[in-house]
Amino acid sequence: MILRVVSLNKKYQHIDGEVDALKDVNFDVNQGDFVTITGSSGSGKTTLLLTLAGLIKSTSGIILFKDFRIDKATDGQLSAFRKNNVGFVMQSFALIPYLTAIENVMLPLAIFNRPKAQKYNAALELLQLVGLDNRKNHLPKELSAGQQQRVAIARALVNNPSLILADEPTGNLDPSLSADILNLLKKINREKKVTMLMVTHSPAAAEFGNTRIHLQNGRIDNIFSKEIKMNLEAVIN
Amino acid sequence: MNVQKLVWLEFKQHKSQLISGLLAITLGIAVIVGIRSISVVSEKAVAINLDNLGANILVLPQASNVDNYYSADIDAPTFPEEYVERIATSTIAGVDNMSPKLTRRITINGQKYVLTGILPKNELASKPIWQNSGLFGAELQASCGESPVNEDLGYKDEKLQRKSVDSLAMDDCMMGSSAAQRLTAKEGESVVIEGKTFKVAKVLSETGTIDDDRIFAHLHAVQDLLGIKDQVSAIEIMGCCNAISDGLLGKLRNILPDTRITTIGQIVSTQIQTNKMMNKVSFVFLIIIIFVGGISIGNFMWANVNERRKEIGMFRMIGFSKTIIYQMLLAKAFILGILGGVIGYIIGTAAAMWLGPEFAGLTVNAIPALIFISLLISIAVSLIGAIIPAYLAGKIDPFNNMQEG
Repeated sequence: MILRVVSLNKKYQHIDGEVDALKDVNFDVNQGDFVTITGSSGSGKTTLLLTLAGLIKSTSGIILFKDFRIDKATDGQLSAFRKNNVGFVMQSFALIPYLTAIENVMLPLAIFNRPKAQKYNAALELLQLVGLDNRKNHLPKELSAGQQQRVAIARALVNNPSLILADEPTGNLDPSLSADILNLLKKINREKKVTMLMVTHSPAAAEFGNTRIHLQNGRIDNIFSKEIKMNLEAVIN
Repeated sequence: MNVQKLVWLEFKQHKSQLISGLLAITLGIAVIVGIRSISVVSEKAVAINLDNLGANILVLPQASNVDNYYSADIDAPTFPEEYVERIATSTIAGVDNMSPKLTRRITINGQKYVLTGILPKNELASKPIWQNSGLFGAELQASCGESPVNEDLGYKDEKLQRKSVDSLAMDDCMMGSSAAQRLTAKEGESVVIEGKTFKVAKVLSETGTIDDDRIFAHLHAVQDLLGIKDQVSAIEIMGCCNAISDGLLGKLRNILPDTRITTIGQIVSTQIQTNKMMNKVSFVFLIIIIFVGGISIGNFMWANVNERRKEIGMFRMIGFSKTIIYQMLLAKAFILGILGGVIGYIIGTAAAMWLGPEFAGLTVNAIPALIFISLLISIAVSLIGAIIPAYLAGKIDPFNNMQEG
């Protein structure tokens, strides 16, 4: 088991009173799982992802990453945790506009004390993995949306994370590109044994995971676990 | 890729915005460097004046400016040359020597020089620093002995040993060292001044004053050349020290009522006061730059942080600690500080070198030590200005990179 969530609660203060964003959330994630988190808008999907990343403090409950208590950690410990263990893929790609594709991929390594050539080679290898090594010197504006998301995926992998947190990674892409990206994530999950937690509102995308957690008003109302075999046509349909 | 490179890449990306951020601090540093460069030279000039000035009384037109002894006669209003005769034929005792002068700025080959007409024997006799130029004839001896009172007036009696120039022909000129260097003129060569050809009779030794930029020619030749017949702009008088104490100045004022008569001591005192005032002004600017420059840098940094909220949020998300975010922004402020210090130093020094001779009558040279002070002030102000924006940048949430669902 890589991640354990026990009785997790998150309350927001609002002018109308307290709002329960997450309520008594419990689940486990094993190494190499591909977990999708679904739910309607406002159900708490992204709040859950941010809380797991230590970017939002939970109100109560336990979040355990291996032996590390995310819910109890200090800001510095959480930064180190994300630096060493987590990769992020966002709907908006979040690439730095003035950095080339390979510089964007190398970005998380900027805070690692490693030789320059080692960083460069690691980034180049990942650009090859996502099929963009021939675009390594292109700025984000010179790449298509699908290519930008591939660069973002390569960036998420460059620090060799054991956990990738993806927030609507296909939300800005058309269906064929979405399938492309989802297949790439699935491939990375299978080949690199990287654990994936992906927030999505797309039922088709949710089918890519071997476990699906459905949230309703901050509570888990269903956890599905199954073998997934999905191809490009199914996503488009 | 490392944090330093990231800072540099971001810096290059927004270089056009830097100009506004740098403006206040650069100008502030430039003003401090400019004032300091001029005042340092001015302080040195005071010391040189005290040691080397020959004449100890200066007769100037009433409307002239006496802030600086060496430049007091430049472009000053004139009065009749006949005043020399008036003094010589008076019954006033204690006037050992007189040197009437007419001085104007001129341009030769696009460069500015100071042309001074002198009556050779008198003029050169009153300048001890020229004694080694080999031009001088019989030695003159000051007619008064040493006196502590005279030192209080701003000169030393032992310096009152003079030699005189025998003659300076109407088409001869003598050049200050800097003027000769700029004109690449050597002794025996000819030089054209205001359409008239002069022979360079002598190149004078360096004095460290505006005299180095002067070209000396015969008073009457200069009067003809400038069309200012029978007029002079100053008379230098070597007065007997005891006679000065006995009221020589008052007696001179009586026979020359429309002139301004002053001693070197008074002029040097004015110059020292001016220097003190300039130092105070540069201190005031230092205070202003700390406020205006710091606020300007802070404002620029805060705008930069706001513009990059998503980017900084992204850094935080992928594991950049708050400390690294602070370091990135302070490194940027550090670079701004270096740029502001260096550019400010260059502008300030250039302005002082250009304006010094023009307005203060002083040849200003670059002071390399000021670059360290400029850098120190500029970097400190930039870092202080960036502290609050850096602190607030560390507090940026990465949430806006995520889509709430």
